[in-house]
Amino acid sequence: MVVKLTMKVGIPRALLFYKFFPMWTTFFRELGVKVIVSPNTTKQIKTESVKHAPDEDCYSTKLYFGHVMAIKDEVDYLFIPRFGSSHKTNVSCPKFIGLAEVLQSMFPDLPPIIMPFYSTAKSGHGKRRLIYLIFSIGFKFTKNPFRIIKAARRAYKEQKVHYENLILDEKTLHKWEQTEYLLNNFLSPEEGERPIKIALVGHSYVLNDDFASLNIQQILKEHGVDYITSEQLPRSLVEKQMDKLDYNLYFDYEREILGTIMHFIERKSIDGIIHLIIFSCGPDSITGEMAARYAQRDPSVPLLQLTFDELTSETGLETRIEAFLDLSRRRKK
Amino acid sequence: MMSITYPHFGSLTYLFEIFLNELGRYDIVKPKNPSRKTAIIGSRHSPEFICTPFKIVLGTFMESIEAGAYELVMGGFQAHCRFGYYWPVLKMILEDLGYDFRFIILDQTNPVEFLRVLKNDVSDNLKLFQILKTLRIVWNKFCCIELVDKLLSRYRAVEFDKGSSELVAEKAFKLIVEEKGIRNIKDLKKKLPGLFEKEVSKDTKVNPLKVAIIGEIYVVLEPSLNLEIHKRLNELGVIVDTPVSLRNYVDFEGIFNPFKKSHKQITLRKAKHYLEHSCGGDAQASIGDTILYKEKDWDGMVHLYPFTCMPEIISKSILPQISKEHNMPVISLTIDEQTGEAGFQTRLEAFVDLLERKKESNCK
Repeated sequence: MVVKLTMKVGIPRALLFYKFFPMWTTFFRELGVKVIVSPNTTKQIKTESVKHAPDEDCYSTKLYFGHVMAIKDEVDYLFIPRFGSSHKTNVSCPKFIGLAEVLQSMFPDLPPIIMPFYSTAKSGHGKRRLIYLIFSIGFKFTKNPFRIIKAARRAYKEQKVHYENLILDEKTLHKWEQTEYLLNNFLSPEEGERPIKIALVGHSYVLNDDFASLNIQQILKEHGVDYITSEQLPRSLVEKQMDKLDYNLYFDYEREILGTIMHFIERKSIDGIIHLIIFSCGPDSITGEMAARYAQRDPSVPLLQLTFDELTSETGLETRIEAFLDLSRRRKK
Repeated sequence: MMSITYPHFGSLTYLFEIFLNELGRYDIVKPKNPSRKTAIIGSRHSPEFICTPFKIVLGTFMESIEAGAYELVMGGFQAHCRFGYYWPVLKMILEDLGYDFRFIILDQTNPVEFLRVLKNDVSDNLKLFQILKTLRIVWNKFCCIELVDKLLSRYRAVEFDKGSSELVAEKAFKLIVEEKGIRNIKDLKKKLPGLFEKEVSKDTKVNPLKVAIIGEIYVVLEPSLNLEIHKRLNELGVIVDTPVSLRNYVDFEGIFNPFKKSHKQITLRKAKHYLEHSCGGDAQASIGDTILYKEKDWDGMVHLYPFTCMPEIISKSILPQISKEHNMPVISLTIDEQTGEAGFQTRLEAFVDLLERKKESNCK
């Protein structure tokens, strides 16, 4: 089937893109739209971000502005969803809801923004709302309803496959924790030495943005560390930890972060936890404090909290990670 | 029973006291007015970039516990805001500091739970109808307190003898706290405007500017945090009003009177074009109020929010557009415990000067 690629939809590679990219890109591609995703974060994008974004936003939100600026001239539409939450009661960061309208208000010359609003917790949205959104977006680009349905189905499937590949099942996780089994096979540890195991915890848009996190995954790889990210932890284990709290942690993505930290503090099965915090992130200020206090109360697994912003230097970061890894190695012995 | 305390919250502190008294609790440790020292000890133990109200609440609680309080009463909810997390984090921090205390949480998202906590934990097993009766009295007294606040920031701007309206307000607060019986309270509410009119000598010649204060509720209503901005503006000869109120969260009149449109509903409708969906806090209300006050022909808006407040940063980013489209001057001020008095005063004076000049040029 030959599709004439005419319309171009731009999606900034920041914030929720890292969680939902299979769904979003597949949906538009299947509709016969050319999807333009902004490039990986570079220094230039960062400079643009700092110039354009409101000065009190968190670093990740600032980067979003830079990504929008990078693609705004080459696209017909920008896709910036207003995402409330997908959970019955738990919500997510308010920035996700306000972002589209803030951009529209601050930069009136932007291309038209497609901003579907979806929120289960506060507005009680469900399947019906999702179908409505799918069609209201789809009819902008095609007149064929069957094509829209097909695109939505594929998008959903892609997202599901993405989650299946990403999230470990409990068995694999258990095996990784208890035995010599390695998750990442890039290692060449020295003879007779078991590589240390670390949990890398943070928002998906920090973990996967190599520029924002100053290549922390690469640094860990170079030091021969076998790591697991908080994205990979099974949701059932996270929920199990959350049930133990005497309050409800109602920011949905923070549950993943605090749940992972609490899980490993309880199991004591790994050598260290690295928690990536974004400067002036509201939810992180809460979970960061809680994680630090839980780790203090049960100090069997060391916890390193790193705060990132546009001024964090790579050398300082590397030194701290090296010191932390040395500490973990010594504790292991 | 152990002695009970609550956070300091502007003139609503009177309300909390009334509430507990009505529920039969007289063993109250009254929270002190937050001072510089409160902010310092609060921020010493707080998370790094938490919003400012948290630091003040922590400091207040530490002072109250040291003064002998055991039960700490706080609100809680689930929304796009960090307020609902205050008590779990406070609890951990205070526990780690080695204090002995108990939290009582009034979660307004769940009315049944709210009443249950009031019945079992706060009061000494009062009957349900007694609690409902209490709520009715408290609501009416709340309306009175709000009215006094409103009158005070209106009369203080035009008073002849400096400080006379504050004396009247203090007297009025005392009357409200002591008044018994629902009918008397309702009568008192009707008498309050007359009280101010009679006892404050007004400067009738001036034609004062009118400025409304919007923003995050705690910063707007807590004078020790916002450096008494109402008073400062009044002293510059400006009449001040604030639409920010507890009503935006708990509105009994709105629930029981389906024909009356609450202030919140009106502002949300106005804000819809700019910020369609609620993103927590008072973000939508701030935007809606700016448009509303322009229509009422007020002169300017002061937008206050605590440092790193998530919802208000959104409204702060959108407010310039509204200011431009509706020709309404808006000044956004970030408040935290480090805010300096002199810089704050200068900016307010400059803003008021600007408004005066704008008004003059409009008259010509």
